[in-house]
Amino acid sequence: MTTAPSEPIISARGVSRAFDGRLVVDGLSFDVQPGTILGIVGPSGSGKTTTVRMLTGTLGRTDGEIRVLGEDPRRFSRRTRGRIAYMPQLFSLYEDLSAQENVGFVAALYGIGPFKRRPLIRRALEVVDLHDARHRLARDLSGGMQRRLELACALVHSPDVLFIDEPTAGIDPLLRQAIWDELRVLRGEGRTLLVTTQYVAEAEYCDRVAMIVDGQLVALDTPDQLRKVVFGGEVIEVNAQQDVEPQMLGTLEGVLAVRQTSPRRLMVTATDAATVGPRIIEGLRRAGVAVAGLEEHQPTFDEVFTGLVEQQRTRREQEAADAGAVVTGHG
Amino acid sequence: MGDAIQGIGHSIVRMASFTGKELREVIRRPGVMLSMILGPFLIMFLFGLGYSGYRAPFATEIVIPAGSNLPQTPEDYAELAPGRLDVRGVGNDAAAAEQRLRDGEIDLLVVAPENAAGELRAGRQTAIRVAWNQVDPVYDQLATLATSILVSSLNAEIIEQAAATGISLAEGELGPAVENITPDVIARPTTAETENVAPTEPDVLSFFGPAVFALVIQHLAVTLTALSMVRERLSGQMDRFRVAPVTSMELLVGKYVAYAVLSLAVSAIVGVLLVGVLGVPLLGSIGLFAGIVLLLTFASLGFGLLISLVADSERQAVQLSMLMLLASVFFSGFVLPVTDFAPWMQYIAYALPVTHGIATLQQLMLRGVVMDTWMLGVLLGIGLVLYLISLLRMRRVIRTAD
Repeated sequence: MTTAPSEPIISARGVSRAFDGRLVVDGLSFDVQPGTILGIVGPSGSGKTTTVRMLTGTLGRTDGEIRVLGEDPRRFSRRTRGRIAYMPQLFSLYEDLSAQENVGFVAALYGIGPFKRRPLIRRALEVVDLHDARHRLARDLSGGMQRRLELACALVHSPDVLFIDEPTAGIDPLLRQAIWDELRVLRGEGRTLLVTTQYVAEAEYCDRVAMIVDGQLVALDTPDQLRKVVFGGEVIEVNAQQDVEPQMLGTLEGVLAVRQTSPRRLMVTATDAATVGPRIIEGLRRAGVAVAGLEEHQPTFDEVFTGLVEQQRTRREQEAADAGAVVTGHG
Repeated sequence: MGDAIQGIGHSIVRMASFTGKELREVIRRPGVMLSMILGPFLIMFLFGLGYSGYRAPFATEIVIPAGSNLPQTPEDYAELAPGRLDVRGVGNDAAAAEQRLRDGEIDLLVVAPENAAGELRAGRQTAIRVAWNQVDPVYDQLATLATSILVSSLNAEIIEQAAATGISLAEGELGPAVENITPDVIARPTTAETENVAPTEPDVLSFFGPAVFALVIQHLAVTLTALSMVRERLSGQMDRFRVAPVTSMELLVGKYVAYAVLSLAVSAIVGVLLVGVLGVPLLGSIGLFAGIVLLLTFASLGFGLLISLVADSERQAVQLSMLMLLASVFFSGFVLPVTDFAPWMQYIAYALPVTHGIATLQQLMLRGVVMDTWMLGVLLGIGLVLYLISLLRMRRVIRTAD
C-alpha cells in the first residue's frame, strides 16, 4: 500500500493506554509528515515508550486510532514491517556477537541475503561511526557505542520510518550531538523519524515537538512556535547602563510583557523583536536610561518545557476549581 | 576495641543486606517459588504414588522332551519359584522357544534334560538349561537368583518325593546302581546350566552408558533452549522481532536448527568418547544411532522451548529444567525400570523423551537392533506435539500486543 506524499506517515487520534486501570497515555493525537522528525519529549515515566510501542504494534492500545504507512500497527503487513525500524530504549542486542554480527543478524531478520547484506552492514556501521569497531563484541563496547550499534541495526535495512526510543539516554553531550546529527542526516535522506527523548533541550533538533507530561499531550508544534506559545511572543533581553523599572516600557506599542531579572536587566516579550527593539531603545532613552545591549533571547527548551508544564498545571487547577464551583452551585 | 565492634557491626549489616536482597528477589518471583516448592513435591508425590516396588516375575517358557511324563501345563509349574517365574507356556520345541527368547517375547527359558532318570541312575546330576536374554546387570543377577531358586525347588521336590515313596522303592527302581550315587547327587540331583543369550555381556558401564548419554542429550537440549528464549524475552529483543517481518515459525525453526546442530555436535563427541574411550559397544548401525539422537534432540528441544515460553525469569527456566532432569532420573527407567511403576505412572514416564531415548539407545547399542520401534514413533510424536504447542504459544508472545 502506497501512501500519498501529502498524507501523514504516522497518525494518532485519541490514543490511550491503561495498565491495571491507570491511564499511562491519555488521548494523544498527532500526525507526522513524511521526511520530518517528530520529537516526543517528556520526563521519565511520562508515557513516551508506551506511545512508541503502540505505534510499532508491539503493544496494544486501550482506545484511539493509529495508522502508520496507512495500516493499523496491530495488523501490519509483512511489507510494511519491512519499511519500519524500531530502536528500543534498552540495549537488547547480543553481547556475545560482534558489532558486525549484530547488524547482520538484524539485516537477516528483514530477509536480506548474505551477499546483499555485506555492503549494507558496512554502510550502517559507517553512518554511526562504528566501522572500525565492527569486530568488537557488543559487550566490550561503551554505553554510547552500544546505542550507536542499536541505531546501526535500525538503519541496516534502509527503513522509510524509524521509531527511535531514547537514543541519547545516559550518554555524554558530545555523543548526543553526534547522534542527533546522524538522525538529521537520515531525515535529509527523506526518512520519517519519531524520536523520544527525556532531554528537553533536544527538542531543538526536531521539526515538530510533542511534549507530554503524565501521558497527556501538553504541546505540539515546531520548536520556534512552542517558544512563542509559552512566552506569548518573542523575547528581547535588555541590558541598561543604569537601574531600570519595568514600567518604563509597559506602554510601548508591541510590548506584551516586561519581566525584571536584575536591577539593570529586563526581559521584554514583544510581538516582533525586529520592530519593537528600536522602540525600546528610544523609550529608555526618554526615561534617561542608556541601553548597554539589546538582543533577541532564545529561551532554552528547559524554560519552554517548564513554562508549558506550569501552564498545564494552572489549567488543570482552574478546571478543578471550575468543576468544584459547579458541584457547589448544584449542591 | 570500639572500632573493632563497630567494624563487626558494619560487616553484619553488609551481609544482612545481601541476605535480604536474595530472599526478596526469590520471594517476589512467584513462578520460581512455585517451581521450587511444588515441583520437587510433585515429583516425590508421583513417585510415592506411582512406584509399586513390585518387580514383575520373569515371563518363562519351559521346554520338556517329547514323550516325557513331566507335567504339561504351566499351572503345574506355578509353585516352582513363585514371584520369580511366571510360567507362560510349556512345550517341546526348544528352537522356537529360544527364538522367542531372542526376540524378547519371553524373559527366561527352562529346558528340561532329555533323560533325567537315566542320568540319575548313572549316578550323575541332571542338568537343566536355563537361558535368558538380559543386558541389564541387575536383571542378569535376578535371573541367576531365580534359577537358583528354581533348582533348589526342583531338588527339594525330588528329595521330598523320594522320601515319600521310601528309599526301598528307589532301590527297587534303581537296583544295584543306587550304590553308585554319591551323597552330593542325592542332596542335589539337579543342577542348572545357565546362559545369557544377549549379544553383549551385562555390564554396569555398558548398560548405564547409553542411559547417561540419553539423559545428557535431553538435558542439554532442554537447558540451552529454555535459557535462550527467556533471555530474549526479558532483554526486549522480542519487541524487535515483533516489529520485524519475522514469523513465529521462522523464529522457532531457526532455533530448532541451531540447537539441533549444537546438540548433535555435542552428542557426536560424547558418543565417540562413550564408544571409543569407555568401550561401550555399538552393535547397531551408526545411521540409526544418529536418527535416535536426532529424534531425542527434537523432542527435548520442544520441552526446552515450552519451558522458555512459560518461565518468567532465567531462574525459573533453570528451575524447570532441573525439575525435568529430576523427573527423568526417577521415572525414565534410568534407575528403576519403568515397569516397576503403576500403569498410570508409566504413561507419564512415556511422555518424557528420555524414556524412549534410553530404551532405544540401549537396545541399539547393546543388542544391535531397536526392538521397541514404536518408541521412535512416540519420540517423533512428542516432538511434533511440542513443536505445535510452542508455535501456538510463540504466536501469542510475538504478535499479541496486550
